[in-house]
Amino acid sequence: MRRCFLILAALCSIALLLALCSAQELRVPETSTAGDDATVSSTGSGKGTLYLVGPGISHKSDVDLGEDIHIPGKDLHNAGAYLVIVCSSSCESGTLYVTPAKPYSLAFIVHPSRVPVGRNNSISGVAFPFDQYRNLIRAPATVNFELNAGKESLLSQSDRTQQGAAWFRASSGRSAGTVQVNASVDDISAKRAVQQVASDPCNLRITGGRTKNGIEVQTEPVHDCAGNPVPDGTIVTFTGEGPQGKVTVDAPIKQGIARAQMEAKGEETISVASGVVMGNELRIGAQP
Amino acid sequence: MKRIFVSAISAFAINVAAIGAMCAAFTISSYAADTSVQVQMDMSKATPRSMEPLTERAVLRDYRFAWASMAQALESNSIDSLQGPFEGDAMRWLKETVLSQQQSGISQRYRDQSHRVEAVFYSPEGDVLELHDTVQYQLQISDGGKVIHDDPVTLHYVVLLTPGADRWVIRQLQAVQQF
Repeated sequence: MRRCFLILAALCSIALLLALCSAQELRVPETSTAGDDATVSSTGSGKGTLYLVGPGISHKSDVDLGEDIHIPGKDLHNAGAYLVIVCSSSCESGTLYVTPAKPYSLAFIVHPSRVPVGRNNSISGVAFPFDQYRNLIRAPATVNFELNAGKESLLSQSDRTQQGAAWFRASSGRSAGTVQVNASVDDISAKRAVQQVASDPCNLRITGGRTKNGIEVQTEPVHDCAGNPVPDGTIVTFTGEGPQGKVTVDAPIKQGIARAQMEAKGEETISVASGVVMGNELRIGAQP
Repeated sequence: MKRIFVSAISAFAINVAAIGAMCAAFTISSYAADTSVQVQMDMSKATPRSMEPLTERAVLRDYRFAWASMAQALESNSIDSLQGPFEGDAMRWLKETVLSQQQSGISQRYRDQSHRVEAVFYSPEGDVLELHDTVQYQLQISDGGKVIHDDPVTLHYVVLLTPGADRWVIRQLQAVQQF
């Protein structure tokens, strides 16, 4: 009986020793940079299977235990958490975090595409730096924002990204035309354009008189308060009030001027408006 | 003798039916548990724009749906469920993962997802939202049906969302070591 027990104990010891010899341990680096090779070391002996599961990859390959395992940079493009698993008789695992590489491009969103002149805080933009593999870079970076309308500088400021984002807000300039919006990090830049258009009409004035068919009225050239011509197509409303009642005519601005023809024989009072802006009143006598 | 035989058959049938019902119930509940995604969202720190309650509800709904869709895609190795909730770089790498899984025979199963989400940036015009998500789940990885990894996981994700035509879509989904 005792002899049997000794033999059994010896067999167990040998099995345990063999198991310990073949058991692998896995050492995975904590971090690696996107696109760089990484090396994982394993202990043990014999053949095993390596699994690499991460963003954009789910890959398995045969490996020799006890030797360094090289993971090529092409498998580690996407920033994120990669699970490295090595299996033989049992499986061991570790996590490798891939961090973004250096800034390569800027995602730059600017609003709006058209803006009236002279509006406070009407232009805004957000910039996110990305590396060459389109990973968001969260490490603080200085983004320079510049807004220029012709020779007029509307904004020039530097901001550090926070959580990967930098942003600005600016007022539009005084002249209609294109605003060049530029964001840059080191030697990387992104350009956008915002069209500044005239604001609401200012000092809307009309002239007019009687014709054979009634009354013809027209505006003087329509400008905003900064002197920018209001775009063609903007609607101007003429309203005539007389003994026969009220007549309203909507007319678009063409080549800077809006015109309207009204049928009225009696004395008429003509007023003009565009949007929320009122112009002068014109009194025209009855048809002789 | 005949009566004993009939009653034995009846008892066997009842037992089989009961076991069947238990199995069915277990399958339904486990499926429901697997697909459930718990999300706690805090939008109070969103800057420079503050978030409207209605928008907050829409983000919560769409974010939860996106994670359920991602889990489904990685488990079934099909990209169908990714169409809609994901765009841009997030969509690209998720598609690559699924295609890679199809080739290698690997699949991933995310169980009992629990997300603690905080908004950290909401752009002035409301067209970009950045979230920080601390997610916990049970990650099961199988190779050809054989489970090779089954462990609880805690990960930190930086997420960029933009409003789409009818929902918020995830454009960037990037795990980081810490916020």
